[in-house]
Amino acid sequence: MMLDRVLPLLIEQLAAQYPVGAGRIQGGWGYVWASYGITWGAFAVYSLSLWLRRAHPPMPEEHQ
Amino acid sequence: MNARHPPGLLEGAFLILRKDLLIEWHTRARLNALLFFALATLLIFSFALGPDTKLLEQNAGGYLWLAILFASLMALGESFRVERENASLDGLRLLPVNPRAVFLGKALGNAAILFGLSLVLIPVMVGLFGVSLALGLGSLGLILVLGCLAISAPGTLYSAIASNARARDVLLPLLLFPLIIPALLAAVKATSLVFQGDPMSQLNSWLLLLGGFNLTYWGLGVALFPQVIEE
Amino acid sequence: MAQRTRQGLFALAVAMLAIGAWLGLSWAPPDREMGDVQRIMYVHVPSMWMALLAMTLNFACSIGYLLKKSWAFDSLAEASAEVGMLFGAVGLALGSIWARPTWGVWWTWDPRLTTAAILLVAYAGYLALRRFVEDPERRAVWAAVTGIVAFVDVPLIWYSVQWWRSIHQIQSSPKTVDPQMVLTLRWNTFAFLALGIFFIWSRYRVAQSERRHELAAPPTLPSAPQGLTASGVRL
Repeated sequence: MMLDRVLPLLIEQLAAQYPVGAGRIQGGWGYVWASYGITWGAFAVYSLSLWLRRAHPPMPEEHQ
Repeated sequence: MNARHPPGLLEGAFLILRKDLLIEWHTRARLNALLFFALATLLIFSFALGPDTKLLEQNAGGYLWLAILFASLMALGESFRVERENASLDGLRLLPVNPRAVFLGKALGNAAILFGLSLVLIPVMVGLFGVSLALGLGSLGLILVLGCLAISAPGTLYSAIASNARARDVLLPLLLFPLIIPALLAAVKATSLVFQGDPMSQLNSWLLLLGGFNLTYWGLGVALFPQVIEE
Repeated sequence: MAQRTRQGLFALAVAMLAIGAWLGLSWAPPDREMGDVQRIMYVHVPSMWMALLAMTLNFACSIGYLLKKSWAFDSLAEASAEVGMLFGAVGLALGSIWARPTWGVWWTWDPRLTTAAILLVAYAGYLALRRFVEDPERRAVWAAVTGIVAFVDVPLIWYSVQWWRSIHQIQSSPKTVDPQMVLTLRWNTFAFLALGIFFIWSRYRVAQSERRHELAAPPTLPSAPQGLTASGVRL
């Protein structure tokens, strides 16, 4: 019957859409770069804030 | 009690509780304000969320506990006001009263005020939101007790801290709200089950959760309060 | 000497992070189901672990301060809370970004996410409290109390996956995951750990310096000797 011939073709088509190794979610590199960018950015800003606040030697003659 | 025998923990707690509740009762204006605030909150919810009575009925548990929570901020914020304004915390410290008794008394007092408030709100809920007590008043009462206790313990602890800090009106909710969310969640879920029925018998798990929170928060309060008011 | 060690640690952390980024972005294979979006896990998971570690350190120091009133405990508590907030905020943001292509939503109120968000707000309250209390000794005591109570939230986060039904990932044991992914995750975890230790150590020094300034009495008033508080607590 027609279905005998069409069905394997359909399955093959369907399988081709999900190649092994590339995952079902395609792309998404935008999300990945956003994540790594946020991580590095946050760490850089915090490192800077630490450096700006770095410990000064105590000065006894300072008035509070 | 006489001067030779300082009050024990429970006796001390009871004395503080009685003092605080008496003060509250004598200045009823504050209790009234609290009640009207909670009622107004419930009214606002029903206006803001529209006339769809089905929706109101479904979410009634949430509105009830939100109203109680907002009111608790007023109640807790005032909890140490008397002590702060009259510097009577120093007096309390000088007395041979166990600071843990102070905590127990104050926290129980706050819980009692909140519980009383919630009891008054129930008929309002029935009238305004059209809820019915599918699981009965006993279950509801238990949830109210556990929920008010759960708010009151950390609330009293943080109130003692916040009332001496800057921006105390902002600090108390900021400290209290994140902590109280899981207990609030359990109380709201349980209350909704009471209002709408419990076909899958989930009530006990929520009650256990509330019980667990109470054990934790009251334990922490009793353990840590003496450090908080120490000079 | 300690300065050199600290700077060396920073250099090490940066190097490890750079290698970790290469591992995560290029070397590790894409996931069978998540594809390349999986790579976000290599920064999200270590970030959350560091946040939890920092909060645990805060808890220990808070208890430590209540038991022994040493400024070192207080400064370390302050440092670990701030650094924990940093890693926690980054981790939560990354989790949200990961959720969008995988779960289809930016946010969902499942127990683990909910308690993580609560934790962040709770520690924001802790840091706010520290800012709103002038007296250093009271600040230290009240912050310690607040830190202890807030920490009670932490086990809820870690065990909520088991306690409630949740759509958050069940923690996969390394045996069931591709070894390349395991290595990448482990490497990044240690990289974040190195960076976290550097941040906490540096922030601790800042806090100690601030304490010294606060406790140094003006020379025109009768004061406690330098390096001690009025009640004789050693700095």
